[in-house]
Amino acid sequence: MENHGIIIPTKDKLFNLEPLLTKTPGNIITWIILAIGLFITIIRFTVGIGSVTNLTDYQPWGLWIGFDLLCGVCLAAGGYFTTVGVYVMGMHFHSAVRPAVTTAFLGYAFVVVALLYDLGHPLRLPFMFFFPGTTSVLFEVGLCVATYLTVLFIEFSVAPMEWLSQKFPWLLWCRKWVIRVTILLTIFGVTLSTLHQSSLGSLYLIAPEKLHPLWYSPFMPMFFFVSSMAAGASMVIFEGFFAHKGVHNYMDETHLREADSVVLAFSRAASFILFAYFMLKFIDVLVQANLHLVFTSWGAWWCVEMFIFVLLPAMLYAKGARDGNVRLCQYTSMLTVAGIVLNRFNVSMIAFNWQLPSADRYFPSIWEIMISIFVVTMIVTVYRFIVYNMPVLYQHPDFSEEEE
Amino acid sequence: MRKGTILLLLAAMAFAGVTCLSALGYASPQTNTLEPTDSGAPSAIVMFPLGEKPNPEASAMAPVAFNHLIHEKWMGKAGKDCIVCHHTGDPVACATCHTVQGSAEGGFVTLYTAMHAQKVAPRKEGTPASCVSCHNKQLANRNCAGCHKTLVKDKKVQNEAWCVVCHTKTPEMTKKQMEAGIAGKLPARQNEALAVKTALARKQADYWSPMKGPYKVVINELQGKYEPCVFNHRHHVASLMERIKDNKLAGAFHTDPATLCVTCHHNSPASVNPPKCVSCHSKTINPAEPDRPSLLAAYHLQCMSCHADMKVARPQKTDCTTCHKLRVQEGGK
Amino acid sequence: MNRRKFLAFLGTAGVTSAISTARVAEAAPHTFPYYENSFGVLHDVTRCIGCRRCEAACQEVNHLPMPDKPFTDLAVTETRRRTTAYAWTVVNKYEVNGQPFFRKLQCYHCNDPACAAACFAKCFQKLPNGAVVYDGSQCVGCRYCMVACPFYVPGFQYDLAWDPLVQKCTFCEKRLKEGKLPGCVEACPVDAITFGKRSDLIKIARARIAANPEKYVDYVYGETDAGGTAWMVLAPRAGAVENPPDDLAVTGSEFSQLGMDTHLGTQPMSEYTYGALGAVPMIVAFWPVVFGGAYAITKRREAMNKAAMEKVKQKAKDGIVEAIDAAVRKIEETEGPGAADRARKAMTEALKDHEQKDSGHGEE
Repeated sequence: MENHGIIIPTKDKLFNLEPLLTKTPGNIITWIILAIGLFITIIRFTVGIGSVTNLTDYQPWGLWIGFDLLCGVCLAAGGYFTTVGVYVMGMHFHSAVRPAVTTAFLGYAFVVVALLYDLGHPLRLPFMFFFPGTTSVLFEVGLCVATYLTVLFIEFSVAPMEWLSQKFPWLLWCRKWVIRVTILLTIFGVTLSTLHQSSLGSLYLIAPEKLHPLWYSPFMPMFFFVSSMAAGASMVIFEGFFAHKGVHNYMDETHLREADSVVLAFSRAASFILFAYFMLKFIDVLVQANLHLVFTSWGAWWCVEMFIFVLLPAMLYAKGARDGNVRLCQYTSMLTVAGIVLNRFNVSMIAFNWQLPSADRYFPSIWEIMISIFVVTMIVTVYRFIVYNMPVLYQHPDFSEEEE
Repeated sequence: MRKGTILLLLAAMAFAGVTCLSALGYASPQTNTLEPTDSGAPSAIVMFPLGEKPNPEASAMAPVAFNHLIHEKWMGKAGKDCIVCHHTGDPVACATCHTVQGSAEGGFVTLYTAMHAQKVAPRKEGTPASCVSCHNKQLANRNCAGCHKTLVKDKKVQNEAWCVVCHTKTPEMTKKQMEAGIAGKLPARQNEALAVKTALARKQADYWSPMKGPYKVVINELQGKYEPCVFNHRHHVASLMERIKDNKLAGAFHTDPATLCVTCHHNSPASVNPPKCVSCHSKTINPAEPDRPSLLAAYHLQCMSCHADMKVARPQKTDCTTCHKLRVQEGGK
Repeated sequence: MNRRKFLAFLGTAGVTSAISTARVAEAAPHTFPYYENSFGVLHDVTRCIGCRRCEAACQEVNHLPMPDKPFTDLAVTETRRRTTAYAWTVVNKYEVNGQPFFRKLQCYHCNDPACAAACFAKCFQKLPNGAVVYDGSQCVGCRYCMVACPFYVPGFQYDLAWDPLVQKCTFCEKRLKEGKLPGCVEACPVDAITFGKRSDLIKIARARIAANPEKYVDYVYGETDAGGTAWMVLAPRAGAVENPPDDLAVTGSEFSQLGMDTHLGTQPMSEYTYGALGAVPMIVAFWPVVFGGAYAITKRREAMNKAAMEKVKQKAKDGIVEAIDAAVRKIEETEGPGAADRARKAMTEALKDHEQKDSGHGEE
């Protein structure tokens, strides 16, 4: 099969690091960000959280939770969304699975990394398993994320095993077993994802007095879960868009052929989900008798979120999917992703502590933002490394005959 | 010589007579009557505990001798008129409408309530006053509030002695008169005469002199961060006496010579040598009895609440060193 | 559903076999109101004079660092201060109906504390003596307790790199054990904070309100708020009697004027999460069934499609074979058997070629 320039690592030359080390503008920016991030990391861990963040006793959770954790987990929902679509629902987009699982795995792995920055005692993270506080929503989140990270690691491990099997042939045996249990992993994964995606919303259930009533709802877990599905679909489209820009020549024919239909199918799904999400949120406002709040200044902000970042992308997705307009769908995915991030920011920072005087409110420091950028850059870099070395966007010729 | 003796004797008798007369006159210069009222109402009225049921033994509680004159005068001075008490506009007795059991004419307000309601809810068409509610209002006067803001709420103080201040009768009132009064058949002139007698018999107590108590009290049970507090006891008692010197209301109701002592020296029988605060208020509070303030709190609450109620401007509540000087640091806390 | 029931349920669902099943078994299946003989403190705002002696005492007994401004500087009460990791209690000044009052803030020591429910490493504990205590030795530093606390009480040592912990009032738990009073209570010169059994304090509070209805708002803050707290507050009526507000809804705003949240409701904050946590076993139980079923349906549908496809193909093939037979017979009749054999051979070969091509396409 023709691979138009895909460099498949061989036993002698296992690593393909050149694309990461050449002096392209993208690489130089990456190096700078990584260097700055490293510098802030040293400060953070030697001087304390207060030295680099604007966190206060009023706002103990800031950007690192609001973006790195809430958005990170939510935007990594593409993993379960795609695997369920392909393996359970029988959609024929096998080429979409590996990229989605890879980004999901990286997303979750770096959520944990980012969490280490935010924790006062990062080394004690496993304590939650030794002294489990079973009444805590955070315990549920932690347990599910840890388990799901393991599941994702196993699901993802097929790619590195195919890559390394030339040097370590025993990996082939492992690979065979992982592929056999794919459907089990998929169902386990979607269960865990449902649990922790929703429980990220449940985290805020305990603070009804702090979160603005337009965002607070007993149904927050459901909102978080439903929006995570939309986020998952949108992220697959979004990542695909950028992958085509950056690592196009690592995609094989199957991948390229299926790419457009993946975009359209996921757009259709995302459109339905976003419509449903909009209706859920709207009914919730009615049920909780909060309609009058919609006409306040907070309500205006709520409307921006709901109409511009939920209803509008829902309609654009619908139009794009009907007209077969891939480009429109791709732009819409960016809007949706921005909307999801906005929603998580609203819940965790903007509408949180809304009653406090502005002097006690929170705005992230430049260092916090830098660390978040640093984490995202790390994800992108590791993703590139994986794509350059492992059969993610293409099917490895040694394993192409096998039906997955 | 004989003549001289007789003259001397006569002179002594005359002196004695004048002395006796003038002494009597000095004791009651207004003689044995009250002046008539402007309104024409009796100067004083005995209010019997009226009841539909016959009470042959006349064993009911003592009636109240109401000094109508003094109340009318006060109302006039305060710029108020009869309608405050006679709220219907008719100058009739309360018992006309307010019966013991309550009746439709009296809006089912019983006679007891009409007299004793601690507070009457405001009404649009003029709020009537009960005896107690009106007197309670007078207690808000800053000269009274120091004691009365705490005392009036204290159920322990509203005991039998408290009732007797008003519910009292002259010993001259016969059982027959009492029976007739309860039945509502006592002639008006007899009633007024009895009432006047009772009213005139009421005397202001002869307060215990400030000199009876200590001049200064050094409160040194709790010294630690601060030097002991030197409390000018005599000045405080004298100040209280000064404030109520010309107050007729206080004079009429303060019947006990220890009256001015018992708010501070509370919860123990009135005495010239009352127990010290620390005998009840321990230095740290007993968790079994949390509402009894600790000694520290007892002092401060006592002083501060009275100063606040009597609107004594100085010292400010947080101005610690006015009462007790800061102890010079020498390894102390 | 209360927490213990939920835990028991979680246990029976077999979901948490790995997580502290022993503790679940200990839990009794009844609603937990509060420890019967627990202690509490009644804060009477009408008594507080804002002298900050409680703050000073707290700093001293807990060995906390002294603030920049001395405790004798009473002007700081004018600013809106909160508790921090290094100041476990603060007294602030508030205007109630136009009159100045002082309110003390510290940990309320909830009956069913939100911080304890939120902690995923079991650092917080409600003790039978009423104190909510924190053990930092297993604290991960996630600060979810601070998010959960409805009173904005816990503070975090953001300035420490090595052992940053959450800090809050301990109810002087150690002193209680020694039979001493909490530092602040001992220091209060006016008994504005009364220490005693919580049940007694509620009675005392009610008695004070009954004896002085003009002085107090008829409400004991903390009796039921947020599920009930060990520290309770009485608020002053302050002039509301002389000028009663026309709008009845406004009455009782004295607590809000004191900067206190009067909309916390009567259930413990942790109960807001029980519904969500209760759904966990449901999802764990039903999701595999639902998705397994969906997978089975998908597989079956694919198999059925495949079978139907093959049937159609077979039919078409059969039709062609029949047509070939008919054609060959006709050729045999008209042109003889030799020609018929040749024709059959040619047609069969053409068919094979076509099939091969077809399957080649299908594979891609």
